[in-house]
Parts: sequence; C-alpha cells; structure tokens
Amino acid sequence: MKKIYVDYEKCVACKACETACAIEQHPSHNLFGLLGDKKTQINVRVLAVEHEAFPVSCRHCEPAWCMDACPSGAISRDSETGAVILNPDRCKACAMCAMVCPFDAISFKETHRSKYGRDVAYKCDLCNDRVRSHELPACVAACHSGALSFREHDQLRRDQAVKNLRVYLLGEEKLPKNFELYRELRRKEFARRSGEK
Amino acid sequence: MKIVTIGTGMAAAEFVDVLRKEGSQDEIVMLGDEPFPPYSPCVIPFFLAGEPLSTVYWKGESFYRNKGVTAVLDSAVAEVDAEKHMVRLNNGRTENYDRLFFATGARSWYPQPQWLETNGVFGFKTLTDMLAIDDYIQEHATRRVVVFGGGFIGVDAALALWHRGLEVILVHRNTRVLSQMTDEDGGVFATRKLREITGIDVRLKTTVTDIDVRDGVLRGVEMSNGDSVDTTMLIVAIGVSPNSEPLVGNDRGVVVDETLRYDPHIYVAGDVAVTPHALTGEPGIYATYPNAMLQARTAVRHLLHGDATYNGSINTNVLKKHIDFPIISAGTFEGDPVTWQNQHLFRRVYLQNGKINGYQLIGDTRVSGYIYNLYCSQVRVDKIIAPILADNRGDSYYRSLMGFSQGQLG
Repeated sequence: MKKIYVDYEKCVACKACETACAIEQHPSHNLFGLLGDKKTQINVRVLAVEHEAFPVSCRHCEPAWCMDACPSGAISRDSETGAVILNPDRCKACAMCAMVCPFDAISFKETHRSKYGRDVAYKCDLCNDRVRSHELPACVAACHSGALSFREHDQLRRDQAVKNLRVYLLGEEKLPKNFELYRELRRKEFARRSGEK
Repeated sequence: MKIVTIGTGMAAAEFVDVLRKEGSQDEIVMLGDEPFPPYSPCVIPFFLAGEPLSTVYWKGESFYRNKGVTAVLDSAVAEVDAEKHMVRLNNGRTENYDRLFFATGARSWYPQPQWLETNGVFGFKTLTDMLAIDDYIQEHATRRVVVFGGGFIGVDAALALWHRGLEVILVHRNTRVLSQMTDEDGGVFATRKLREITGIDVRLKTTVTDIDVRDGVLRGVEMSNGDSVDTTMLIVAIGVSPNSEPLVGNDRGVVVDETLRYDPHIYVAGDVAVTPHALTGEPGIYATYPNAMLQARTAVRHLLHGDATYNGSINTNVLKKHIDFPIISAGTFEGDPVTWQNQHLFRRVYLQNGKINGYQLIGDTRVSGYIYNLYCSQVRVDKIIAPILADNRGDSYYRSLMGFSQGQLG
C-alpha cells in the first residue's frame, strides 16, 4: 500500500498540511468555514523538536494496535487502500485505541462527524476517498517543500538507496543548497534562543 | 468437524468471525444465555445514555446468519461432560462437539442476592440488565439512583446514568473509586476530578447495608454510616465472578495451557480464562477486550493449524466514558514511584530495576501509547522517564527517536 512519508529535513514548518487537512475534513471544504468553528478537525500536527520540525500523524500501522483494541467495531482497514479508518458513528470515545497508539495519533473532541453530541475519537483517514479516486492525500498535495510524499515503501527505499549512492559516489548534493542554508539558520536560531533561556 | 462455543460474547464472536475468515466450513453452534446477537459490554452503557441499541452489536445484528452459525440462545449451560464431548443445557438439551470454545465470561457478584427480587434493584453487566434498567427508568420516571460499587463497572454505570440526567449517588467501600486501577494518590485525584466534573455524589468508606421495600418496589437504601437515602433504583456493581462452574465446578476461572486449552478438545478464552501475564508470568484473569481478542485468534490458529501459542495477557485498561477524563492503568503498583502532576493531570509510573512495573495516567492520553510501549518492551527508562511523564507536547517519543535529550525546553 501507499503511505505518507515524511522527509523531515525538508520540512519548513509552514503548516500548509494542517490547513489543507482541516479544509479537507470540514463539511464546508473551505478555509473560511473553519474560522471560529470549534468542531474543526485537524488530523496532522506539525511538531517542533529542538531545531527540527515535522508533521506527525497516523501511520496506518500493520498490524494496527488501535484496531485490535477497539471494543465497539469502530476501527477497520480499507482493503483497497490499506487505510485504518475510524467510524465515528460506532465510536464511544472510550480511549482504548489512544491508550495503545505509540504515535499519539488519536485525539478526542466533538467534530462535525459526531452523531450524538459528544466527543469521538478522530484521526487521519489517509484521505481515503481522495486516494480511492487516485488523488493525493490533502496534506501531501499541499506540501510545497517536498517534505511529504505518498508512495510505496519499497519504491521509497529503492529511491533512497540510489540517492545515497549518488551522494556517496558522485558527490551529488544531499539536500538542495537553499534547504541546507535554511537548516543552518534554524540551528543557529535555536541555539541562540536556548542560550537566552 | 463440529465446533461449539459456549458464550456469544466478544471472545466467542471473534473466534467464530476469524474461523470463517480463515476459510473454515465447519459446522458451528453458539450457545448463549441471552437472546441477543453478540454485543459489546463496553458499549452497552451508552444505550442507557440514550444512544441507539444497534451500536452495541459490534459485529452486526445478523452475525449468526452472516457467519452460518446455529445459535441456541436464551439457554444457560449446566455442565460440560469433557469425556463424552458433550454440553448439557439447563433446559435438558444436549449438544455434542468435536471442539469446544468455552468463553462464558463473568457475572455480577451480589452480596445479598435476594435484593434482586425487589423491583428497582439491578446488576450492571449484561444487555439484559441494560434493557431492564431502561424500562424501569421510563416506567417509574426515575430521578435518582444509588450505585453501590465504585470499581470500573460501578463508575461506568454512574457516568452513563449521570449522562442520562439522573441524580447519581455512588457508594464505595474504599477510600477512592477505581481502587483496583489506581493507587491511593492517583485514585484520590481521580475521585476528586470525577466529582468536580460531574457533580456525582461520591460516598466513600461506605457500603449499602439494607434496602427499604414497599409493595415489592424499592423505596430507599440504608448505608453503613447510618445514612439513608430515598431512591427507587439501586445498581449493585461490587464485583464479578467467572462463569467457570460448568467446566471446573468452581468460580475461580479455568486454568489453560499455552495453547489456551483445558483439555485436547476444549479451548478457553475471555473473562473466564486464567492466563499468565505476558511480562511477569503471574497467572490471573486479565479481563480486557484486547486480551480476549488475542486469545480468540490464537485459539483459531491453533485449531486450524496446530501451531499457535499464547504469549500471555497484559493488564492495561482505560476508563473514559461520557466525559473527557481518561483514567489509564497497567501493571502492578510496586517499586519506586516517579510522579508528575498538575491541576488537571496525574501521571505516575512504578519502576523496578529501572523498568516500568506499572503505571497510572489520569486526565489525558497524550503519553499513554509511548508509556505502554516502554512498559511492554521492558526497556530501562529510569534515566529518561521523569521528563517523559512531564511531556505535554507529545514530543518525547520523537526526542528519543532523534537522539535528543528529553524535555530540556517546554
């Protein structure tokens, strides 16, 4: 199956993925529809760790521990896309899934999909409808810097291996110069701020 | 081959579901003492809180038909004759088997079973209980309920009925609710927060000692501290005992081998099975849904392929019902405690030889999956655990992954 991969060295923490996800998940499918709406659901989160930043979300694990822990039949896997899908109509927000998710990828609140006026679990659905119609997940489509990609794991590994060889044998650039400079800047800025603290 | 399950609960339903998914064409008979399709005990309190009954049938309302199963419902099992490969039901009927899946679960334990003869006194374990409670509340326009027992099921009952709008008095003999899932500090914190969030009247170090009955209907209860309360409804949820009598003649559960078998033809799973703990080896009844699932799947693998072993159970559990205040606990609370808390959260792990022996995470789920993994993998965490417990951004896992020291900046 294709999955969303993160090249954290290329993430510039612009949060375009978060915005695109929120729009995709919102019934209005419109940026302005989100404003001031407490039920807005965002399934990806750009996390800053020291001078690095990267989006984190559900990894659609196989086996998926959340799925094995769900006692209400709310979590299933799409046999076509492999996405781990949470059905809010069946979810009782009991947190069995969140209790075992190693990536803190499941959150709770009253979303637009809540049927009974209470909180439900929500997580990335891999933009399953988009993927089924051969589109990219919204976050990947929105990523300007190339940090997010949607691909097969084997292909990713092969490409990575070829690229590493080219860097090693031919002395090619690992990252474009502008990324290197940006990363250098972030490192220094982070060091300066840490010093201040 | 003829396969018979005793029980139509979660373990039995998963067992049958996986059998069919694995391609088994065998004749399957499921014996149940209630008249329903398989339902989720974790979900049924939500029916009382006003959500549709259909959501309790976690594998669908047409399960028996969809799986090609003969369901013999509404009939309890009297005994299993393991020598003759035969099950005898209370109504005199018998059922032969080639393989038996014994998953009878557990039932409420009552200190005064005769109380149940009074209209208005209920257990809180089965869908039959839920339907009776629902009918009773509608019929009597019940406004106030006393829940006796502040363990998992008692708190679950209290929250469901609170959500429905009833005034709830929760009576518990211990110093804190959820006393098996928490230690003293964690439990006292959880009790205080539950009171704050819901306004439920929690009465600790107290038991219900007697009931006041008029015309066969409950009018009030009396408590060990001398208080009496007018109420037309009492829920008794002070404990459960495994339904192991039909197989072993006592209610201490069924001890199984590493293939989950009691004898070469009988598999046992779910809340009636005595299994070793996956990390400590300590035998016990680890009555949670994930354990039951793993047991059911292991039994199927062994039955069909003959080569599966069960690696043990994990006693982790969470209570988060109707309010956004999860209470998570696992393991045993022995060793050196490391604690972090603020106004809203309480997190504590117990370390033994630098490894997590047990933990409580109360108030949110942010670090729970990471801690669960550290617990299951039994890696040494004594040098890194304090900042992980204090993690409110959810970055501690990534810090460890990327080789950064934990939590220098908030």
